[in-house]
Amino acid sequence: MAESLEDFKNSFNYGSRSDLAFKFLKRLSTEEVADFLQELICRLGDTIDDGEADRLVQLAWEYQVRAYTGPDGERSPTYEDAPFVALRRPLANSRLGLVTSSGHFVEGDDPKPFGVESMTQEEAMSRILEFLRSAPQLTAIPADTPGDRLRVRHGGYDIRGAQKDPNVVFPLERLRELQATGLIGELAERAYSFVGATAQTRLLKETGQEWVERFMQDGLEAVLLVAA
Amino acid sequence: MGHLARLIEAAGIATVAIYVRAFAHVAQAIRVPRAVVTRHPVGRTVGAPHDVERQREVLLSALSLLETATSPTVVELPMAYRIVSWR
Repeated sequence: MAESLEDFKNSFNYGSRSDLAFKFLKRLSTEEVADFLQELICRLGDTIDDGEADRLVQLAWEYQVRAYTGPDGERSPTYEDAPFVALRRPLANSRLGLVTSSGHFVEGDDPKPFGVESMTQEEAMSRILEFLRSAPQLTAIPADTPGDRLRVRHGGYDIRGAQKDPNVVFPLERLRELQATGLIGELAERAYSFVGATAQTRLLKETGQEWVERFMQDGLEAVLLVAA
Repeated sequence: MGHLARLIEAAGIATVAIYVRAFAHVAQAIRVPRAVVTRHPVGRTVGAPHDVERQREVLLSALSLLETATSPTVVELPMAYRIVSWR
């Protein structure tokens, strides 16, 4: 029997065609996926002649946004109020920390999730449910780490961009440059990363508070967070 | 990430978070103290690989928000994602 479009689109989401760049297809209706594929093919027809690929990426982006913000999109808790404090002194005199949910670590200092030595990206993807149920691990990364010593593993998003250039989600090199210009007073000695696909309630109630204490011990006066 | 931003801010440390457009509604709902939203694909929050100029522009926007916001603020940046040639 021929595969249905429903099964086809869902197979990109941890299925037989698992591809984290396109796992969003599962959140779209079959009609929307058909429209997406038709338009993609149409635009590809133009790209054959002019090599212009931005139109393809733009289309994928539009459907990704539709998928995550639509009826089957990403849900989150809703709060009425936001905590808010002003920066105590200008950024040029402040110590800034970087914290990302991108799953970065330094070569030779693997956080070894679930005790597994050198876990591959494929294994992280196949164990995504375990990550989602577990307490997250915070990994410290010295601020002077060269880009080519950074490693990334995360079973929840497409890491191919981050493998080519860590700055796409872990902009340590860009922050070092901004520190050199004097815009940032001081980049904290340690940056931090964790695997964002994690138990959010536990992050809020237990682990997060411990992390905040570490940030305070580091003397951070401002924190830049990047959601991967 | 939103919960963490709230915890850090509640401890008295000013935060700014960068989100992609696909999750901007999450940043809004969870009421992060300050957020900059980029029109980039998931996994390329700050900019395309090796798009140094865009990455810097996004960081400057985030750091500027850190200094200038006087109440909880979410700002969406208008720039579309662009691929840069780097191979």
